[in-house]
Amino acid sequence: MSSEKAIAVQINGIGRELSAPANETLLDCLRRHGFFEVKSGCEKGDCGACAVQIDGEPVDSCLTLAWTVEGRSVTTLEGLNDTDNPHPLIAAFLEHGAVQCGYCTPGIMIAAEALLRETPEPSDDDIAIALSGNLCRCTGYTKIFAAIKQAGEVLRAGGNDD
Amino acid sequence: MTDQETSYRQAEANVVLRQVGKPLERTDAVGKATGRTRYAGDYTMPGMLHAKVLRSDIASGRLKRLDVSKARALPGVACVLTAEDLPDRLAATDMPGQTGQKRAATDRQILVREIIRHHGEPLALIAAETPALADKALDLIEYEIEPLPGVYDTASALEPDAPIVTEPDNVVGKYKIRKGDTEKGFAAADRIIENTFYTQFIEHAFLEPEVGLAWVDENGVVNIRMSTQVIEHFRFIADALGVPHNKVRILGAMVGGGFGGKEDITVELYLALLAQTTRRPVRLAYTREDSFVGHGKRHPFSVSHKTGVTEDGKITALEVTISADSGAYVFLSPYVLLYCAVAAPGPYRIDNVKIDAAAVATNNMYTSAFRGFGAAQACVAYEAQMDEIAKALDLDRFEFRRRNFMRTGDKTATGQTVESAIWADECMTKALDALGDKPADTGTVKIGRGVATYQQSYGRITWFHDTSEAWVGIEVDGTVIVRSGVTDIGAGQASALGQIAAELLGVGLDDVVIYNSDSAVTPLAGTTTATRALYMTGRAVHTASTNLRERLVAFAAQELDARPDEIDLANGQAFVPDDPSKSMSLKDLASRGASEGLERSELAMFRAPFTDPIDQETGQGPVFPDFTYGCHAVDVAVDTETGEVTVLKSVGAHDIGQAINPQAVEGQIEGGALMGQGYALSEELIYEEGKLVSPSFSEYLIPTSMDMPDIQCIILESRSGLGPFGAKGIGEPSLTPVAPAIANAVADAIGTRVFDLPITPEKVVQAIREAQR
Amino acid sequence: MLRDFELDMPADLQETLACLPGGTPLAGGTNLLVDLRARRESAERLVWLGNIDAFRDIKIEDGQAAIGGGTTVGDILRHPGMERAAPALVDCARVFGGQMVRNQATLAGNVCSGSPAADSVPPLLSLDAELCLASATQVRTIALDDFYTGFKKNRRSPDELVTGISWPVPGPNTANRFYKLARRKGDAITVVGVAVTVTRDGNTCTDARIALGAVAPTVFRAKEAEALIIGETLTEERVDEAAQKAKELSDPIDDLRASADYRRDMVQVLTRRLLNQAWQSLGEKEAGR
Repeated sequence: MSSEKAIAVQINGIGRELSAPANETLLDCLRRHGFFEVKSGCEKGDCGACAVQIDGEPVDSCLTLAWTVEGRSVTTLEGLNDTDNPHPLIAAFLEHGAVQCGYCTPGIMIAAEALLRETPEPSDDDIAIALSGNLCRCTGYTKIFAAIKQAGEVLRAGGNDD
Repeated sequence: MTDQETSYRQAEANVVLRQVGKPLERTDAVGKATGRTRYAGDYTMPGMLHAKVLRSDIASGRLKRLDVSKARALPGVACVLTAEDLPDRLAATDMPGQTGQKRAATDRQILVREIIRHHGEPLALIAAETPALADKALDLIEYEIEPLPGVYDTASALEPDAPIVTEPDNVVGKYKIRKGDTEKGFAAADRIIENTFYTQFIEHAFLEPEVGLAWVDENGVVNIRMSTQVIEHFRFIADALGVPHNKVRILGAMVGGGFGGKEDITVELYLALLAQTTRRPVRLAYTREDSFVGHGKRHPFSVSHKTGVTEDGKITALEVTISADSGAYVFLSPYVLLYCAVAAPGPYRIDNVKIDAAAVATNNMYTSAFRGFGAAQACVAYEAQMDEIAKALDLDRFEFRRRNFMRTGDKTATGQTVESAIWADECMTKALDALGDKPADTGTVKIGRGVATYQQSYGRITWFHDTSEAWVGIEVDGTVIVRSGVTDIGAGQASALGQIAAELLGVGLDDVVIYNSDSAVTPLAGTTTATRALYMTGRAVHTASTNLRERLVAFAAQELDARPDEIDLANGQAFVPDDPSKSMSLKDLASRGASEGLERSELAMFRAPFTDPIDQETGQGPVFPDFTYGCHAVDVAVDTETGEVTVLKSVGAHDIGQAINPQAVEGQIEGGALMGQGYALSEELIYEEGKLVSPSFSEYLIPTSMDMPDIQCIILESRSGLGPFGAKGIGEPSLTPVAPAIANAVADAIGTRVFDLPITPEKVVQAIREAQR
Repeated sequence: MLRDFELDMPADLQETLACLPGGTPLAGGTNLLVDLRARRESAERLVWLGNIDAFRDIKIEDGQAAIGGGTTVGDILRHPGMERAAPALVDCARVFGGQMVRNQATLAGNVCSGSPAADSVPPLLSLDAELCLASATQVRTIALDDFYTGFKKNRRSPDELVTGISWPVPGPNTANRFYKLARRKGDAITVVGVAVTVTRDGNTCTDARIALGAVAPTVFRAKEAEALIIGETLTEERVDEAAQKAKELSDPIDDLRASADYRRDMVQVLTRRLLNQAWQSLGEKEAGR
C-alpha cells in the first residue's frame, strides 16, 4: 500500500488537514472528505467535471495527486458561493437557465471564474477557448456563454455590492 | 383519438396563463448552480462496501474457466458473485412493464454462464471494503476465454451459416407497413430515385457515469438510490432477486444526463444482488470506461429509400428497407425499429408506401434507447433523400418539401390521422428566414445550407396503455406540494410540474416544492423517456391541480359569499376579479379549509390513448398519441481541401404546442443542436471484431465549446398538443432534424454527398474526389 | 484507481536530481497519470517536480526566449511576450487540451512524452528550440531536432530532467505559424500538425523550417522540403514543390482518427497553406513599411 500522510491545505479559504495515500488523486481525496461539488466524469482530463482551482488556477483534480497541493489553496464551487457575497456567475447561470443536468456546472464555473479574472470582458472566442476542456452534453453551451458574459458585466460594474 | 381529447384541445386553446409559458428559474437550478445538489454518487453510508464489475474483453467466446478463489480469499473482500451463484436468475431487457403488459421473452443472463456475446459482458461482481481492494480483487480473478467466431455486421448475421447470437436466426425484430399500392405509385412516377443512408454506433455521453448505492433495510426491503431514467425497474430487480415487487425500492436523485442511456437496467441489478448477498450497503460507481462498455448504444441503421416522383415534384410511391444492428441482446431494438419504420416517410403525404424493417443480432454491443429512438435515424435518411430528389428533378429543395408536406387531418403511413397542428412548413419558413442571406464562398471554403423537417412522436406506443400518476396538495400555510415518481434527467422535468401546479393553484413557482423519483413513496409516473414526462405526468399534475382548484374555489365561494364561477386564484389569493372587497389569501383559505375538514390534496392518473397493436401484415393502425413537427436549418462552411466542416449558424424551429418554460425549451433545442452536430460530424463508437476501441472522451468526440455555432431557437405554439395546456414534446424532437440538416448543408456546399455518418473531414475529401472523377 | 506507488516530493532541483535515478518525473501528470491509470505505463516511484524554485520562469531577452522546465502550456498563453517570441507555440497553446490541462501540462513534459501527436513539438521544432538537460552530475543542452530517436524514444537518460527550453526569438522578417487538424475543434488529438517558419529578405526566403506532427514515429523536420525553398522566391511552384516533398517525407499510420493516405495529403495541403500565409504575411509587412 502507498503510505498515507496528512496534508495541510486551504480549501475555500479554510485551513484543513486531509489524509491521503500517495496514489490518491485530489478528486478522490476531496470527495472522500465531503466536497461532493467536485464531480467525477472521466478521470483522465477529458471532461473538466472535476475542475478545481489551485492557487487560483483551474486544474483537473483527477490529474492532480492530493499530496501535491500541500500548502496550497484549493477552490471548489463552494468557494465561489459565499452566502454573503456569491460570485456573480451563480446568479447569471440562474438567470440564463445555463444549468440543465448540472453535472458539468461546478467545473464550468471554476473554469469561467478564472477566465473572468484574466479577461474581464471575454469575447465568444475567449470563452470557447477557456471552456474547451469542460464538456457539457445538455446545453449546447449557448446559455453558458451568455451567463459568463453577463457575470463579466456585473464584475466590471463593481460586483454584487453595487 | 377520443372525443374527450379533442374537447381538451379546444378547452386549452384560449387560456390566459400566469405561470406557464414564462421563463421561470427552474426549481432545481439553485442547488445545481451552487454545487449543493446531491447526485446519486454523492450519497454514502456507514459501513458501505465498494463494488466492481469484471467484464469480458472479447466479444464472442466461451468462458472455459473462472476462478474467483484468490479474490474471495483477499482480506477485505466481502463478496464475489459469479453465474454459479445465480443459477436461475435472469435480467429483463424489455420495455418497463409498469402497465402490467406481458414482457417479451428476451431476458438475458446476468453474469456469463458459458457463452460471451459482447465485449464488456459481465463475468463477476465484487464487493470489498475499499475501492482499492475491489480493484485488487478484480485483478486476482483468473479466467480463460476460448474465442468463438462472431458476427459483426447485419449482413453477415443473416447469411445461412452465420453464428447464431440470438435464436433462431438472429432476427430480433421485424415490421412491415403497407399503405396504398406502391406498384401503381411507381408506375405513375416520372422518376425513381434510390439511395441508401448509413448511421453509426453512438454513445449517450452523459457527464455522470452510472452510479448507485443499495442497502437492505429493517423490513427486508432492498433500497437502491441511483442515477436512472426509470425507477420502475424495481419490479424487474425484484423478479431477478426472487422477492416480491414491494420488497425493492428505487430512489432516484437528480440525474447527470440520460438521453436514453439510463433507460435500461444498469447498476441497480448488481447493487441489489450484492446488497442482498452481503446485507451491507454497497456502492457501485462506473468509471467512464465502464460506462462506455456497460450500457447499450444508439443503433447503427442502414435505410434504403426508393422514391417515385413526378416531374413537378409530387411523391407517388415510397419503398423503404431498414436494417438495424441490435447487437448481442434484444433490449429495446424491436421498438426502436418500429419507431424508425413509422417515421420513415417523414412529415410527407405519400399515398403508396411499403416499408420493411428488420433488427438483426450481432456480437457488437447491444443497442437500445437513445434520444430520437429510431426516428432520428429515419430522419437522417428521409431528409437526405428529399434533397437528393430535389437535386435530381432540379427543383428548389424547400419548394419540393412544401409540395409534399402533410397537413392537419392527413394520415400517417400506418393510417393514423394526425389531429394536431402540422406546422412543418411554418417551422421551415421561419428557420430559413432566421438564417438570412447565405454567406459567400471564400476560396476553397464553400458555404452550404441545409434543412431537415421531421415528424416525431411524443408519448409511448399506444398499445402499451401508458399511464402516469401525480399527487398535488396544499399545506395549511398556502404552499403547494407536488409528488410524482417522475425522474428528472436534467431537462427540468420536475420543475415543469411545479409550474403547472402553480398556474392552476394561483401561487408562484417559489411556493411549490416537488418530491419526485421514489418508487415507494411518490405516485408512480412511468419513465422519463419517449418525450413523455411532460405530456403524461404534466397531464396528471394538471388534472390533480384542477380538481384541487375546483374544491378550493368552491370553498372560497362559500367563504367569500360568491359563486364558484366568479372566483379566480392568483398571486396567492382567492378573489372575485370584479369585486375588490371579496378576496382572501390562500393561506387563510387553506387553514380555514383544514379546520373544516376540506380535502387538501388530489391524486390523479392520466391515461394516454389506448389502442390495440397494429396489424402485423399491413402495419396499419395508430401507433403513437401524437406527433411534434418542426425544422432545423444550418449554414456550414466546408474547407474543400481538408474536409473540415464548421457549422456557422444553427436554427431550430419547432411547434411545441405550448411552452411550459420557454427557457427550458430553448435549452432542449440548443442542446439538441449540439448533440445532433456531434452525430453528424464527429461522434462514432468504433468496434473492431465487436471490441470497442474508442472507450474514452479522447476518442469519442462530443462537441466542445469551440465547436459551438451561433444557435437560434424559434418556438411556435399551436396549442394543439395532447400535453398540459396544449403542449407537445420537445426532448427528442429537438435532436432529430439536426444531423440531416448538417448533412444536407455539407452536400449543398460540396455538390456531392457523404452517405454515411459521421461526415469526417476525410470522408468529405474522398467524396469531393470521387465526384471529380 | 491508480496502482500503488511511492511519491517523492523533493524540495528543490538538487534534491530532485538526486531522486531521479529509479524515479519517474511527475510534472503536470496529464499524460503520466492517465497512462498509469490505464496501465499503459507502470512506475514504482514518482518524483514530483512542483516544488522546484523558479521552474516556471519565462525570460525573453537579447533575442532569446527561455522557459523553465515547469512552464505550462497555460503560462505560454498568458505571457504577453509570447505572441512575438513564439507565434506558432501560441497558436498551438490555444488548441492544446482544455484550460485545466493547459494549466497542468508542461512543455517539457509534452516534449518528453515523445508522442508523435504531442502538439507543442512542431512549433518548438519550427522555432529551432533546444533543451537543457540536467542530472546530478552534469548539465547539457541538446537541439530538440536531435532529441528523438524513435517512437516515444528520446535521448534523455533516466537520471536527467529537462530544466529548460530555449529558442531564438523570430526577427521581424520571420513568420512562424502552426495549424492543428483534428476531428473536433476543441481539445482533440491531432490528426496532422504542421508548423512552419519562413524568413524573408526582399523576394528571397533566407531561412525556413517545416515541422510535421502525427505523420511519422516522431515529430520531425522536413529538411529536404525546407531545402527546396531556402534561397528561393516562394512562388506558387516553389511552395507546391516543398509541400509535395513534405508529403513524400511523411510516414504516417492508419488509426482511428484518419488513414495514412489522408494524413499524407493533408501534410501537403497544410504545408502549402502555411508557407503561403507566412510568405504573404511578410510581403504585406514589407509593403506596409
